[in-house]
Amino acid sequence: MRTAVEARRRDEGLAKTGLLAVLASEAVFFGTLLTAYLFLRLSQPNWPLQKVGLSQLVVPGLNTGILLLSALVISRANRAIARGDRQGLQARLLLVVLLGAVFIAGQLFEFLRLGLRPGDQAFGGVFFTLMGFHALHVVAGMVIVILAYLRARLGDFSAHRHIAVQVSAWFWYFVTAVWVVMFLGLYVV
Amino acid sequence: MSWLMTVDHKRIGLLYLSTGFVFFLVGGLEAMLIRMQLAQPNGTVLNPDLYDQIFTMHGTTMIFLAVMPLGVGFANYMIPLLIGARDVAFPKLNALSYWVFVLGGILMYSSFPLGGAPSDGWFSYAPLTERAFSPGSGIDFWILGILLLGLSTTIGSINFIVTIIQLRAPGMTFDRMPIFVWAFLVTSLIAVFALPSLTVAVLLLLLDRQLGTHFYNVGAGGNALLWQNLFWFFGHPEVYILILPAMGIVSEVVPVFSRKPLFGYRVVAYSSVAIGLLGFMVWAHHMFTTGLPAASLAVFSADSFAIGVPTGVKIFSWLATMWRGKLRLSTPLLFAIGFIALFVIGGITGIMLAVIPIDWQVEDSYFVVGHLHYVLFGGSVFGLTAGLYYWFPKMTGRILSEALGKLHFGLMFIGMNLVFMPFIVLGLLGMPRRIYTYSPDQGWSSLNLLASVGAFLIAISFLVLLWNFIRTMRRPAQGLADPWDAFTLEWKTSSPPAPYNFKEIPTVGGRRPLWDEKHPEQADWRAGQ
Repeated sequence: MRTAVEARRRDEGLAKTGLLAVLASEAVFFGTLLTAYLFLRLSQPNWPLQKVGLSQLVVPGLNTGILLLSALVISRANRAIARGDRQGLQARLLLVVLLGAVFIAGQLFEFLRLGLRPGDQAFGGVFFTLMGFHALHVVAGMVIVILAYLRARLGDFSAHRHIAVQVSAWFWYFVTAVWVVMFLGLYVV
Repeated sequence: MSWLMTVDHKRIGLLYLSTGFVFFLVGGLEAMLIRMQLAQPNGTVLNPDLYDQIFTMHGTTMIFLAVMPLGVGFANYMIPLLIGARDVAFPKLNALSYWVFVLGGILMYSSFPLGGAPSDGWFSYAPLTERAFSPGSGIDFWILGILLLGLSTTIGSINFIVTIIQLRAPGMTFDRMPIFVWAFLVTSLIAVFALPSLTVAVLLLLLDRQLGTHFYNVGAGGNALLWQNLFWFFGHPEVYILILPAMGIVSEVVPVFSRKPLFGYRVVAYSSVAIGLLGFMVWAHHMFTTGLPAASLAVFSADSFAIGVPTGVKIFSWLATMWRGKLRLSTPLLFAIGFIALFVIGGITGIMLAVIPIDWQVEDSYFVVGHLHYVLFGGSVFGLTAGLYYWFPKMTGRILSEALGKLHFGLMFIGMNLVFMPFIVLGLLGMPRRIYTYSPDQGWSSLNLLASVGAFLIAISFLVLLWNFIRTMRRPAQGLADPWDAFTLEWKTSSPPAPYNFKEIPTVGGRRPLWDEKHPEQADWRAGQ
């Protein structure tokens, strides 16, 4: 007969493999969007925002910092529950959601500041699409973290049973990494 | 009601198979309309506008709503049984993936009554699909349908990947996995990595059409070739999504009906992986006529030749398996042999198309249409039909009539060649694809008539299959657990299997676990002694 521990290990294996497959597909999705962006940019001699000054980088730079910080916090949340610290887990998950919300607000601000519209040549569309799909993923990540927070409040997790926190963290790292690549592609390169 | 709520992999498999078969018949009817229109010069069966809608929906239906779901149906039913598991990894997601597929199919077809079906061909080239040139809602239905079908396939593929990696019975190492499972693992990986490109392509088109972005609008900094690159980066791997499950079925059927283990098990397994990898490096061979730089032409031409190698390896492995085997020429083996013969023609015409000067000459002609139907009808559909006759006893406890099965095979094989061999010749004679009619002085009339006669033979062959099905299902189940004296675990349980599949999860000691159990004196592990 299968023991409870074996059953839990099996379910954890399924969750981790499943999420990895999802992230692989998501990575190709964003990779394709970025390739489309490069394809359009390279086929156009005059690409707006090609030489942005350092002053232009303040808002997106701050935003990038906030998202990186949130990734650090969610890794701490995971460590807290591995120690059995349920209070610490809840506090850190909330902080992640808060930082996510600040990031979304910052992205909105940035988009309005640039004054771009989806219909402004190909550039406006590609900027809008890249930032939009990434923002959607951050919001999805926030929903996932909120669900983990609610389960944490109900006492669902323990030092040995917190696979949902773990995979939420993986998703959050992924969303952060995607933004870093996008930031480099859109602003720096 | 219990069928609507089911999360059992066998029932979902049957739902996929039956829905896919219904769409196959619809796509077949569309093909018949096309052949009626083209049977004679200056045909008047369809007006040009409707003709465009019908051939677009024929391609879209056969690829996304028929052949893909039929492969998924067999995978759903068989993979847990083949690897000795009780179900897939995520049964509820499995049901979700089926219902999203149904929704996508309904959405696609609701375009007909709601303002006209999409009419720009199954690959919907931009900028033709931009609002300025396709103002109707057909393309929007097509986009939304594709998005849902892509979502369904992605969910399903992730489920199969996790199932195959995590839920194999004790002793079922990768090196002992049935070839069909290998083939479907690669198929699922291809889907996960190729579909996002299609998703991006159609999302950008949707934004262009609905939000006024300019991704494919050359006048505003966009690029029309962006569509072709994105689409074919998905589109060519898609060919392998359509053919690999059929190759997997053939690799199961040929050994069982030759009474021999598969020749070169490992190379057959790894050749699927090689096909999967190479499949991602050949997309621009669909774009040889778009003015690519010479270096790109050379690379993509060479890659396209290279993909013939792992494919050829499989062909020779099947032939070597049959060589000196005790062949039983039952219907499943006939269809498998049909697959091999027809797929070779599809493959060789494919290699011809990889030669750039030939491609420049016959691009967008009936040569290409003939080639792709030898691959997808002669290949995929023959392979899937072999699977139907082979696994029907497992799924229903009844065996289909051999006499009617052979009649089905004969009609379909002759009909298929009567349709598509003339296509290849018509292409060489210069007949472009997608034209709604032609004039009598172009010299294409008799070959077109021949093709239309062949199409009727194919249609009749499927009526024979339907009659066979109805006749068999009206008889009581015979409960044959293992009518073919087969090799693999799905035949170890009752037919049809109980909801839990196996009373006890089997332990696997070789590549032909059931054969070893039934014939210990000839077990595979003795062969080395």
